[in-house]
Amino acid sequence: MGSVTIQNLVKRYGGLEVLHGIDLTVEDGKFVVLLGPSGCGKSTLLRMIAGLETVSSGDIAIGEQRVNDMHPKDRNIAMVFQNYALYAHMSVRENMAFSMRLKKTAQAEVDERVNWAASILSLEPYLDRFPKELSGGQRQRVAMGRAIVRNPDVFLFDEPLSNLDAKLRVQMRKEIKELHQRLKTTTVYVTHDQIEAMTMADQVVIMRDGVIEQIGTPLDIYDNPDNLFVAQFIGSPGMNLLSGEIVQGAGGKMFQTGDVTCELPQNSAAMVGQKVLYGIRPEHLQASMQGSGLSATVTVVEPTGPEIHLYATLAGHEICAIAHQRLDWKPDDELKLNPMVDRVHLFDAETKVAIPAG
Amino acid sequence: MRDPDSRAGNKLIRLPRWLTSEHPFPWLFPASAMLIVFGLYPVLYSLWLSMFKRNPATRIETFRPSWNWSKVFADDRVIDAVSVTLTYTFIALTIQLVLGLGIALLLDSDRKGFGLLRSLMILPLVVPPAVTGMMFLLMYDGSFGVISHMLYGLGLLSPSTPILAGGTSALWGVIIADVWQWTPFMVLIMLAGLRALPKDPFEAAAIDGATDMQAFFRLTLPMMSKIIALAVLIRGIDLFRIYDYIKVMTDSGPGTATETLTAYAGTIYFKNADFPYASTVALFTLILVVIIANLFIKIFKVRF
Repeated sequence: MGSVTIQNLVKRYGGLEVLHGIDLTVEDGKFVVLLGPSGCGKSTLLRMIAGLETVSSGDIAIGEQRVNDMHPKDRNIAMVFQNYALYAHMSVRENMAFSMRLKKTAQAEVDERVNWAASILSLEPYLDRFPKELSGGQRQRVAMGRAIVRNPDVFLFDEPLSNLDAKLRVQMRKEIKELHQRLKTTTVYVTHDQIEAMTMADQVVIMRDGVIEQIGTPLDIYDNPDNLFVAQFIGSPGMNLLSGEIVQGAGGKMFQTGDVTCELPQNSAAMVGQKVLYGIRPEHLQASMQGSGLSATVTVVEPTGPEIHLYATLAGHEICAIAHQRLDWKPDDELKLNPMVDRVHLFDAETKVAIPAG
Repeated sequence: MRDPDSRAGNKLIRLPRWLTSEHPFPWLFPASAMLIVFGLYPVLYSLWLSMFKRNPATRIETFRPSWNWSKVFADDRVIDAVSVTLTYTFIALTIQLVLGLGIALLLDSDRKGFGLLRSLMILPLVVPPAVTGMMFLLMYDGSFGVISHMLYGLGLLSPSTPILAGGTSALWGVIIADVWQWTPFMVLIMLAGLRALPKDPFEAAAIDGATDMQAFFRLTLPMMSKIIALAVLIRGIDLFRIYDYIKVMTDSGPGTATETLTAYAGTIYFKNADFPYASTVALFTLILVVIIANLFIKIFKVRF
């Protein structure tokens, strides 16, 4: 079946090592997203699974089979490329039938499978057109059609939506997820877009500089980032971070930066005197115009429709809070902020690793 | 170009009036002048010449518009020359195309040293064709030529019939020189095409299950078809006008076995001094080239 197991995988280009010992297991039928900034090695990892890049050391297995030295064509995988990689001189039908033609599949079966894929992807009206006569979204669908007709063990997607406009991206995101729910084929999906990762994945793998920073479900990663990088990378607007230290207050341990002190979760493992980064997501900062709380000054107000992003300065730090009430915020207004204590994240200032809440 | 002042760096340069003209004439003039002087005028003058009947002995020319043209179609040497030209063009073009594409495929690599190989490959193109002809003439020489020597050694050719002395082998002799000189040109065009091909479809094909051979026939060739057609067109027209190798190596011989249309026109012009008839044969060649090239463009849908 279609699980993917990667053990201590290393990729070197000459003397330059770009993947430093990757360990990853993708269970059969799961949708796993490799997420990370440009140059983190996510595409390289995907291309190694596909067999388009050689393995410097370590192992890749698809199902029970070690595939390190196997030609891409023998791995029973299908890949969707960022630039679609359609065969420009072939019609949509021929593009989708290509892999079966190579295997000399009977015409009746070829027609059946192409029509099946076309119906799933709403491509029936375009079967006799050529790629250049299609829009970006249609081309992307053809690329997906070419992948699904093969009934592969594993689907590989290499930033398939990055060439589409925002609206189409949202639509295709949904279509890919629906497709996966329907076919239940193991999928490895590469993207640098955290929204894609959060919305589509069963499991998100966050990578940086050729190492995996964290693996988990989207919400787990969002709620419990292992380290500062993950905390900053996931979420938009990003997590607020204040640098300061832990002090002993009247009611227990407190966080202090400048003359501002904040409460901490009861069982925080942080130690008094420890230099830390205090992290709180914008939606966990309750903003009000009056009452108690930390005093901040509004600098910029960004209404997005469903919510309002308030940028403010708090003890010299730029911070962002999300307000759901449509109050009449204005720059230079005074703002009262109340962090939700159980949603506070602490990171060691030196190691940048998360300090457990309890 | 509404503003006659244009900025270069920080300095304001005032261009002369005619360099900022919006009128097409000054821009088209140089190219048009070239075409008229070196293209249109010679053709029209040839056409004018072809309408005269010349008596080489008396050097008297009389205006007889149809005389030379009816002579062309009745001239056996013209028929033979057409056949030689077509044979020469077809064989040389096929060899150059296959070799050119093959070598280009071998040289299409980013590995170390291939850039140098690609540059070296182009070297034959810098040799003047007449010099190439002389070079091969020497190498074919029955008593000291290196190629002849090798062929004797292999038992392929007897010393009594040097390559350029046999009716059929002479044409091959000239073709080999042409292939040596012009295959690099094909390589150059094919390489430009191959290097410009997108990589993604080939990766997709590898995943789709294509072997290298299948990828070549199902992707590379179709994706290169326009470039191949263009290369065939350019080289085909060039080959059809073959003159220098024939002139230097065989001078249309033995007999008229390697006489192409342009070689025949040259002979009529320089040896028989029948300028009007030579112009007619040359124009006839031009018409043939135009017809064949346009048929080719139509059939293979070549786009520029």
